[in-house]
Amino acid sequence: MIRVLVADDSRVMRQIVVRTLRQAGFDWEVCEAADGQEALDAVRADEPDVVLSDWNMPVMTGLELLRALRAEGFGTPFGFVTSEGSAEMRQMAEEAGALFLIAKPFTPEAFRDAIEPCLA
Amino acid sequence: MSAITSQDVSAIADDVFAAMVDGEAGTIAPWPGDVPLDGHDVAAWVDVHGPWRGRASLETSSDVAAGLTRALLRLPERAAVSDDDLVDALGELANVVGGNVKALLPEQGTLGLPRVAGALPDDPGAHPVQRLPLGWRGRSLVLTVWAAEERNGVAAGAATAPGQEDR
Repeated sequence: MIRVLVADDSRVMRQIVVRTLRQAGFDWEVCEAADGQEALDAVRADEPDVVLSDWNMPVMTGLELLRALRAEGFGTPFGFVTSEGSAEMRQMAEEAGALFLIAKPFTPEAFRDAIEPCLA
Repeated sequence: MSAITSQDVSAIADDVFAAMVDGEAGTIAPWPGDVPLDGHDVAAWVDVHGPWRGRASLETSSDVAAGLTRALLRLPERAAVSDDDLVDALGELANVVGGNVKALLPEQGTLGLPRVAGALPDDPGAHPVQRLPLGWRGRSLVLTVWAAEERNGVAAGAATAPGQEDR
């Protein structure tokens, strides 16, 4: 079973992300982190198969998390789930190594459209 | 100056409620008549910093805030709602609205972290760009996009109190 790490400082949003994953048909094993630093520690301790991360979080942002992971040699597939989906941020995400950026509010279809190509 | 229209804010609200809150479209509508602001005792907001400085806010009653929290968490209608969950849920709604407002701006800035309190902080330098009273399940809530007053070509600040700066 695929293991996903969901990083978001909002517990409510983490729950919505997990629920949407299920609705999209991704019955994955889920672990959670409340900010980028927690997520970085979680990946260091036990690397998941994929990371879904918010962008704007206290302590360490999602972009800082992604850059830290890549700097430490982790190639973990990484996608953003964020309220900020501008072209500029999508470009920054791609340049940092993210596979996709899902903008909030999202639907199960948006999850499928973003994630399924990465599973092929 | 931004060109954020009432249609922009309405479209954002429609998307947020359809995708996040209710799981179906058409659950919110313009509020008919005057909004009973006296009953609004919960405010959630997020500030935008950068070339355009402003704020997106949501104001409503604590009853509606609890209902929104239940809806977001898919809790039963009369389930108890903790203060932590209410603050988290309302803050995240403001955050998503703010992020989508920010995406409309011609020049990108940064988004602060969401705040929730009994009322919006006083900011004599901010003025509403769009104010959208909405009805949800027969109760009112107000979405507002604020712009910071500009002086000498420099935005005067978006009412972030000292020590509240997020980035």
